[in-house]
Amino acid sequence: MKPPSMRGKILRIFFKNRTSIVGACISVTILLIAILAPWISPYDPLKQNVYYRLTPPEGSHPLGTDEYGRDVLSRVFTGAQISFLISLVSVAFGMVIGTLMGVIAGYAGGKVETGLMRLLDIIMSFPDEIFGVMVMIVLGSGMGNVMVAITVLMIPRFARMAHAPTLAIKEVDYIASARAIGASHLRIVIGHILPNIFGEILVMSTLWLGTAIRLEASLSFLGVGVPPPTPTLGNMVRMGVDFLAVAPWISVFAGLAILVSIFGFNLLGDGLRDITDPKLYAR
Amino acid sequence: MMKAIKLAFITMLAVVVLFGLGAPWALAQTLRIAMDAGDIADLNPHIGHSTQDRGILHLIFTGLVRYSPGDIGKFEPDLAEKWDVSKDGKVWTFTLRKGVMVHPWKNNPGYELTSEDVAYSFKSAADPKRSAWAGEYAGMTFEAADKYTVKLTLQKPLSSILLLPKVADYAGGLIIPKKPAEELGEGFRTQPVGTGPFIFSKYLPKEKVVTVRNDKFYRGVPKLAGVEVFFMPDLSTRKFALQSKEIDVIEGPPSQPWVEEMQALPGVKVNVFGPGEAGVLHFNATKKPFDDIRVRRAVAYALSRDEVVTTIGKAIAAPVYSEIPPPQAGWMSREELLQRGQKDKKDCLYEFDRNKAKKLLAEAGFPKGFTTEISMTERGEYQVPIQNIVAQLREAGIDVKLKVVDHPTYHSNIRKDLNTIVLFNCWRPTTDVRLTHFYHSDSIVVTGKKPITNFSHVGMIDVDGDKKVDNVDSLIESTREMLDAEKQVARWKEVQLKVIDWCLSYPVFIKKFTFARQDYVDWGYDLKSTLILSPQINELTKINK
Amino acid sequence: MMTYSLRRVLIAIPTLLVVLTITFILIRVAPGDPAEVRLGDYASKEAVEALRAEMGLNRPIWVQYLDAMKGLLLGDFGRSMVNGRPIAADLVRSLPYTLELTLAGILFGALLGIPTGVYTALKRNTLSDYLGRTLSLGGLSFPTFYLGILLMLVFAIKIPVFPVVGGGPLDDLSKNLYHLFLPGLTLGLIMTAYVTRMTRSSVLNILNEDYVRTARAKGLAERKVIYKHLLRNALLPITALIGVYAIVMIGGSVMVEIVFSRPGLGRMMIGALKQRDYTTLQAVMITFTSFVVLINLLTDLMYGLIDPRVRFK
Repeated sequence: MKPPSMRGKILRIFFKNRTSIVGACISVTILLIAILAPWISPYDPLKQNVYYRLTPPEGSHPLGTDEYGRDVLSRVFTGAQISFLISLVSVAFGMVIGTLMGVIAGYAGGKVETGLMRLLDIIMSFPDEIFGVMVMIVLGSGMGNVMVAITVLMIPRFARMAHAPTLAIKEVDYIASARAIGASHLRIVIGHILPNIFGEILVMSTLWLGTAIRLEASLSFLGVGVPPPTPTLGNMVRMGVDFLAVAPWISVFAGLAILVSIFGFNLLGDGLRDITDPKLYAR
Repeated sequence: MMKAIKLAFITMLAVVVLFGLGAPWALAQTLRIAMDAGDIADLNPHIGHSTQDRGILHLIFTGLVRYSPGDIGKFEPDLAEKWDVSKDGKVWTFTLRKGVMVHPWKNNPGYELTSEDVAYSFKSAADPKRSAWAGEYAGMTFEAADKYTVKLTLQKPLSSILLLPKVADYAGGLIIPKKPAEELGEGFRTQPVGTGPFIFSKYLPKEKVVTVRNDKFYRGVPKLAGVEVFFMPDLSTRKFALQSKEIDVIEGPPSQPWVEEMQALPGVKVNVFGPGEAGVLHFNATKKPFDDIRVRRAVAYALSRDEVVTTIGKAIAAPVYSEIPPPQAGWMSREELLQRGQKDKKDCLYEFDRNKAKKLLAEAGFPKGFTTEISMTERGEYQVPIQNIVAQLREAGIDVKLKVVDHPTYHSNIRKDLNTIVLFNCWRPTTDVRLTHFYHSDSIVVTGKKPITNFSHVGMIDVDGDKKVDNVDSLIESTREMLDAEKQVARWKEVQLKVIDWCLSYPVFIKKFTFARQDYVDWGYDLKSTLILSPQINELTKINK
Repeated sequence: MMTYSLRRVLIAIPTLLVVLTITFILIRVAPGDPAEVRLGDYASKEAVEALRAEMGLNRPIWVQYLDAMKGLLLGDFGRSMVNGRPIAADLVRSLPYTLELTLAGILFGALLGIPTGVYTALKRNTLSDYLGRTLSLGGLSFPTFYLGILLMLVFAIKIPVFPVVGGGPLDDLSKNLYHLFLPGLTLGLIMTAYVTRMTRSSVLNILNEDYVRTARAKGLAERKVIYKHLLRNALLPITALIGVYAIVMIGGSVMVEIVFSRPGLGRMMIGALKQRDYTTLQAVMITFTSFVVLINLLTDLMYGLIDPRVRFK
């Protein structure tokens, strides 16, 4: 194979940037919609008008109405807001708790490390949906509980991510010298370890935002997510499935919103990861 | 040349012969029906209560008496050819049909059903360890007087309106033959043996139950070769299965768009039939703010029955105004309640009036409305109406937060007296049972003597503010033993009028059942109403293909 | 090799115990009572109490726990609390469906994903690469149930080629595969997305390694380079990750089984959870976990085989 040409190099940088740019555009747009939902929704997402139900998309209802006569567009906006809220909170908590767990495990070593990592392995060994359903059955439905379930699923991911680099950094010379001059463990963790892994963690959290959105949708589809009338993208798809033949717009648009959101975050995360991956820069 | 002609002739002969042989095969078909369930729960006829269980049990078991197929307003003799009742209404004598053969099982080819089996079956039905309906048979003694005669002695007399349902082909009245029940023990739950038109063949968990024709069936050999009941909890899957003709009949949701969608499909017909389940909102008068009659009335006025019925679908639901739904003895129509209301100068209807609701709320001290949280099941038949009810109440300032749980948990919660409002959808076999379960003080949840579904706590509290505990106990009890049907019905209406006046419950809708079938399925009778929540498949049902 | 394998097997046992305990606790903490489920909303208090006693639910909790532990670890799964049937029989019936579905997904994903991954890695930064990467990213952004429903809509309604009912008989291979196609395709497409990406990145890693440069410098034909060095060395991470994604497939199979009404462990589990069927749920969880443990074990062993360095850590 010929060595990478100028064209290839340009394409590569362009692509790398493009991925993250496109991803960023999509993600930011969706986030904006989610944040501004109450102001940009033409109708109250909870207000029913059963005499006007299941109408196809047209002027006054650009995405049609659902089985209770509620405006699908408004519900998609609000649903996005709620789905995003759940995902952001879960990933944020998962990131903080998980990273700390991983760093502590890696730093402390010994029994603490083995114990923690073993526990996390066990949680990760359950397929997500199964574990999620079990947690929801115990806790009961509701937005807070969904956040708890998804946070628990995020923690091991972040912990694993933080664990390996912590091990690596621990062995580096300047840590030994820092210890030698009497720096406390806490200082080392905060001052040396966390800043070094922060970048990676942040990039991965973008990707895992998409996972969290998908998890919320899956739990809702299995009937253990956020219950109606509160709209979430996931429970809208679930409700819409019963009307797929007469009113496909409900599931289709809600599902599309899920797809685009996850896709946007994946693109962004992927792009960021490519950009920050030192190996790819070498060539 | 000759060879070719010979060959053609032989081929044609072969084809004709095969066709001829094939013909009787084509006549005897198996009906495949798909239910909205993941699996059976229990095929013990004295316990199995879910729709799919009842449908299967109805293929395999029969009773002394049966509801006319397709019409629950009439009774017909079945295992019992005739019956007599003594003057005091306490002794009933049933004469059994001869030659009824119990299905074969394991190594037993089957045997003739006698009064011994019937007595055994009712003893079982009265045993709380073996039957969910033991309460129905309390104080009833069944004896095998002679081989084909069964004598039933009651402690208190019952009119035929109240007794026949207990010995009909439903719930505790389904006859469990003695020998296989004793022999199979626990195993009977998943290998039921009865006297019905179809014999249990096999059970593939989560997939289907297979039954085959009972050639010795006493009402005549069934036209179908067998019935297979499939479990398909996903609505879209059931619909696709029907369209691809892999399934002949499917259970539908109580949803009008679904009915319309199915009716639009070529070769598909929809049956909407009763009696349906009546959905009633019960207000827990022991929990604030529902201890105040003005608040209860406010909630009632804030609701439009028409809107709820429209949400469910006018093709399958209708408003109800009395606890007892049509066509049960003692039901009251809108007109009747309107007249009674005018006569007694009270409002018996609580028809939609949002302003009145807001005014009452203000009077009771809630000018801006109030919030309450209730447990609610995820089941579609509850979710559809409750979502609309909640949305309507929201407009009046009443914010009802739903804590959605799965169905068994919901029933557990409401029986633990956790809810301020309870939506309950059901049908009960007799007026007396329904009134007793919901309004007798014994039935009060948690604290009653025989707690079941009295969520409003009537009989324990002062509901109208006159400093006396109000109840309808004696009214219900005395009516139960009346033998004059007309007077009995009038009394039952009195009970309901009291409850309406106290506004302890708000009857909202009655929702019928929906099933879609291929147009070549012929039930064999006119399907208007059936207690088992799914179309009865009996010896007359056939497939016209 | 033996000690390594033995060590990995021994670690599996406490995992099973922990999972079992967590399941035991969780399902009993959940509200709802199996006796009430069985009797329904018509049940009276006395009938419920009688049934609870019969089901053994009134025994002290630690007695129930030891009983469950003993039973499950010795392979005696007991009877379902809801329908009284021996659970082992139901498991044996459901297992093949879940196994074949998961396998179908993994195989499809590997067969389609690995070549695609290699191709896009070699054609890096060209249009095909861009397309391939976008498509595979799209694939794993697709919620499993959504994909399943769309496929069902297209291939069972618009073009009624495939069935939607159940899983087909176990003894008739062609019928079975006929019922397996759409569900398997759903999982397979998603698996393909994962495998493509992961193959691509591991191939890219190898491409950058020195020994490949050396091989190229030596003038070896491109093909030889690929087959001899690339694939053999990329095999390790691919194997490992297929193990991880097999777990994802198991979770996905639960969704697919619900959508397509296929019998299988997933449906069994959801059913047991909703009906509070303690015994069945415990048995199903043990089975799921055993699978996961088995897959991890196999992956570890493969690791050990392929990369001797791992054995002596």
